[in-house]
Amino acid sequence: MNLKIFLFTLTLILALSNAEAQISKAEIVATGLTCSMCSNAINKQLKSLTEVDSVIIDLNTNTFVVHLKKETNIDPGILKEKVEKAGFFIGSMIVTMSFENVEVADNIKIEKDGLSLVFVDTKTKVLNGEAKAKIMDKGFVTKKEFKKLSKSLSKYPTYTSDNDGAYHVKVM
Amino acid sequence: MKEVLIIVLGSFLINSISAQELFVVTDPASNVPANSLSVRLSNSLFKEVYEDGYNYHLMPEITWGISGKLMVRASAFISDRSNSLYAEGGSIFAKYRFLSVDDLQSHFRMAAFGRYSINRADIHQEQIEIMGHNTGYEAGIVATQLIKKVAISSTLSFEKALNNKPDYEFPNIQSSTATNYTLSVGKLMYPKKYTNFKQTNINLMLEMVGQTLNENGKTYIDVVPSVQFIIHSQARIDVGYRQELYSNMLRTAPNGIYLNFEYTFFNVFK
Repeated sequence: MNLKIFLFTLTLILALSNAEAQISKAEIVATGLTCSMCSNAINKQLKSLTEVDSVIIDLNTNTFVVHLKKETNIDPGILKEKVEKAGFFIGSMIVTMSFENVEVADNIKIEKDGLSLVFVDTKTKVLNGEAKAKIMDKGFVTKKEFKKLSKSLSKYPTYTSDNDGAYHVKVM
Repeated sequence: MKEVLIIVLGSFLINSISAQELFVVTDPASNVPANSLSVRLSNSLFKEVYEDGYNYHLMPEITWGISGKLMVRASAFISDRSNSLYAEGGSIFAKYRFLSVDDLQSHFRMAAFGRYSINRADIHQEQIEIMGHNTGYEAGIVATQLIKKVAISSTLSFEKALNNKPDYEFPNIQSSTATNYTLSVGKLMYPKKYTNFKQTNINLMLEMVGQTLNENGKTYIDVVPSVQFIIHSQARIDVGYRQELYSNMLRTAPNGIYLNFEYTFFNVFK
């Protein structure tokens, strides 16, 4: 009986903590570099974060797959800051997040674990489980892409260069 | 020597798709990573023109990345010009990257830099060199373009020599100011395809270094071909040769070799 309660509690804790685990993975393409010493500088910066579990790198494409520790929350802005501290920039960032029956639609804003997400170019659907989302904001895409996006996403009133902490994401 | 130059130049022209910008005698617009410390030991051995023998300079340097945009460096100058190894002076240097246009595998960057050096050695030539010979200061800008594995960088700076205190005044008859200009090209030769951080990278570089004395127009132009090995994506060895191409100013030892060792400690400061 005690065991059942224990298992139930454990399951509940795991389920709750799982819901807390916002971003489990971030795939970052860095720009402005072609040398492995430069990649290593980014690698060392990312690994200096306590939230980061491991970083898997493709040196030829400058792609950094950042796996985050369970039960930690990270703001994508912190990853961006680290890449810029190494002296480089983010060309694209796709985050893997877990959702539990969250209905999303175009221009819908949701708040989750301290992150505000505004969905852009997204059809109405229910997200359950892991989903990948590309961050469209300034500093998370190349300068060229941002120029294009500031036109194509101008219908979203919150999509400005100085966004107020909300991330504009497109579900992949 | 000419054959070497032709081979080095040729390899740039034939296969100009791939490079590096960690040049041997000039600095690129990019900085060392924030919170990192980079330690360099530069050695140079230059042939004396007016006397027998060689002039050895040892230059230990430490570079600190304060932020992604700003770095500072301290250097010490040690030489055997006065027979035994003698600490002649030191230098502080700062570089600020003010422009960065980055794209996938390319960037265009610009930075401004300043340097102040002291030196107590005798003043023995018209060439102004605050890296190991003159007390003085320098201010300039650098622009660097990286396209895939090729980097091209150019520097323009103003340099002013002061008295080498306490014993040597800067001669009145010489120009105490100069304009410096450089053009550097670097190319990543190996590996063609990366597999991991432990692979040794080999870069070939060719740098043109020039100076014109502002008060009399006297000029020199040197070429510096070099090969660079990057080990474990953390250490660096440069081997370079400097050759005077043209000069109408007094220089006591224009030609010689460079051998530099550098190691980067990442995330020293949190």
